[in-house]
Amino acid sequence: MFQVQTIAKHPLSDSAPELSTELFESMWALFASIGSYWGTMTNASLHRTQLLNFMANRIKLDPLYLEYYATAAKVVKDLTEKLGAGAYQELFTNTVAGTETPPQTPMGIARQRVSNEFVSLQLALGGFMAFGAVNYPGFICGPNIPGAVPPYRTGAVR
Amino acid sequence: MSGVDTLIVGSGVAAAAVAKRLLDYNSSASILMLEAGQRVKMQDAAIWQDYLVTGKLPYTKYYDRAFPERDQPGENVNAGQTSVTLNGARVFTYGGSTIHWGGWSFRLKPEDFKLAENTGRGIDWPFAYEDFERYYGLAEHYLGVSGDSADRTVDRSTPYPFPAFPHTLEDQPMLAALKSLGLSFSHLPIARRGVSEQPSRHAPCQTTGTCKYCPFGARFSANNYIDDMLQWGHYPNLQIRLGAVVQQLIMSDKDTVAGVEYLDTSDGSLKRVSAARMIIAAGAIESAKLLKRSRNAFWPNGVGNGHDLVGRHIVTHPYFIFQGLQKSSNSKKLQPEMNFPTLVCRHFDSVAEQAAGKFILINPPGSPKVDLVRLMQRGIGRSEIDKAVEGPATFEIHGMVEVFGEWTNLIDNHPIPNFMGMPQTLVDYSEEPGFTAQMAKIQSVVSEIFAAMDTTLSGKPSISWRADHAACTVRMHTTPEKGVVNENLRVHNVKNLFVCSNGVFPNLGAVNPTLTLTGLAMRLGDYLS
Repeated sequence: MFQVQTIAKHPLSDSAPELSTELFESMWALFASIGSYWGTMTNASLHRTQLLNFMANRIKLDPLYLEYYATAAKVVKDLTEKLGAGAYQELFTNTVAGTETPPQTPMGIARQRVSNEFVSLQLALGGFMAFGAVNYPGFICGPNIPGAVPPYRTGAVR
Repeated sequence: MSGVDTLIVGSGVAAAAVAKRLLDYNSSASILMLEAGQRVKMQDAAIWQDYLVTGKLPYTKYYDRAFPERDQPGENVNAGQTSVTLNGARVFTYGGSTIHWGGWSFRLKPEDFKLAENTGRGIDWPFAYEDFERYYGLAEHYLGVSGDSADRTVDRSTPYPFPAFPHTLEDQPMLAALKSLGLSFSHLPIARRGVSEQPSRHAPCQTTGTCKYCPFGARFSANNYIDDMLQWGHYPNLQIRLGAVVQQLIMSDKDTVAGVEYLDTSDGSLKRVSAARMIIAAGAIESAKLLKRSRNAFWPNGVGNGHDLVGRHIVTHPYFIFQGLQKSSNSKKLQPEMNFPTLVCRHFDSVAEQAAGKFILINPPGSPKVDLVRLMQRGIGRSEIDKAVEGPATFEIHGMVEVFGEWTNLIDNHPIPNFMGMPQTLVDYSEEPGFTAQMAKIQSVVSEIFAAMDTTLSGKPSISWRADHAACTVRMHTTPEKGVVNENLRVHNVKNLFVCSNGVFPNLGAVNPTLTLTGLAMRLGDYLS
């Protein structure tokens, strides 16, 4: 048997408000725009539940993420009012937002804490395939079963 | 002082394997494991995703602190001419360093057991490969190793439990080069479970490529296996106590250990536990340190240290990384698809190289280097990323080389406690003069391989002396003049004290030690039963 070990718990864990539908839809649009901007995912709708699960887990691990997502939604809204269809491109490519250390401005937080993490997630969910591979770190491709098609490129005829 | 039959210090692979073996013989055996560290939550989706998007691992806070530098306090002392880094080399947690290991599961070769006989250096193992072979088979099944059972690199009497992972497409350039140069190669045996007809509570590898924090527990990690024993094993007298930092051994007389004194980090008190016999399975560094700091009237220089051997002869594997730039284009869009290697060259892990230092070469899973995440996060457009993927790639060849134990190279206790509550570590290691010449030879071999890959070697390798494979600190020998423990891992002149760690290796060979250690643990379990 184990001796009891105290489990670390963030003081805000119980009081953190839940993700609203409006906020999730904003983040969903951002996630889908990553796929359309880079051509990595033409139909991201298959991954709506995974994005929701991902966001919930990020908030569970660090309640500040709810604020990060709200900040990103506000940034996207402001950019859209200013740039229209070019809003997401500005978020994805703005050099200052991508490099400020640590991210302190709303744009920096939206880019580094939200958009860039969604990029990682989208690649792991299958976006990497647009660049020619079969498997990728974070992608659950399946086991190695003799006689079956290997879960990664091998050089053998597939 | 409460008591048990068998007290095990540590909860890594050696502790888990020897406990399992003892319990296989007697499911009611009274066993207590004392682990200095705490439990890290495993197979947790939120932690896994955090690792996926940020690269943060939940156990790095249990690494040794970096060596002190100006403006950075740090911990431990590097006293030698070669910096043997401890930070990142081992993990002070429940499950030990298997929580972060790569799972490479090589057998030593027969000549490794005869280093002194073949080269005049060091000491031989007190038994031959042939005598130990069946324990390699048991260890491969215990760790769940996937490997090529037809591979004759080393003779074997039993197949691997799971088939080898096929060579990746990224392996093909190096594989073709090895073939063209007449260099032997094989599948890298790795402790990732496959699919089996035998039911198991341990999941098969899903080739997810996040092996440093496997979301399924498919890569062997001792904490998962001890959990399994505790929850499902029906072992009523198996216990583990976390946060128990063993301070010293308590001897009832010179040839009998009575128990230990440990710091209970939950309340800061010192407690004692007695045992009929004790197994120190705390890694090559901490096992030696514990013996050495246990000074008493019977053993004024530390238990088992009557001949000033404890902590000496420390070695580890210098891990080298060569880079080369492809001359043509990466037309097949080779990129990292896995997080573990599948191709190894043991051609130079041979008798011919034994005197100078055997070495192995690996095609690492991150070669060629194509980092899609970094490119996209920098805001690079699609057409530029496509060019980067298909342009000339940077390839890498990694490897390890055997170095030899010297009496002057040592580890010891430093009087200041570390963040865990155990004495910090003093490392005093200086590489031998011949190492540079052997690295020059390795570089010439790698240069030929790169040339056959249409790739130009970029220059000298980076070499890490990190103590991941620290070993030989309490060497095994039949006589106390040459070894700290005997052929049964019992400390010379102490009838009920055993050490089971890489520290007992007489020499390290050119390959990862964990499979051999697991075999030694199972052999010890047989001996004690």
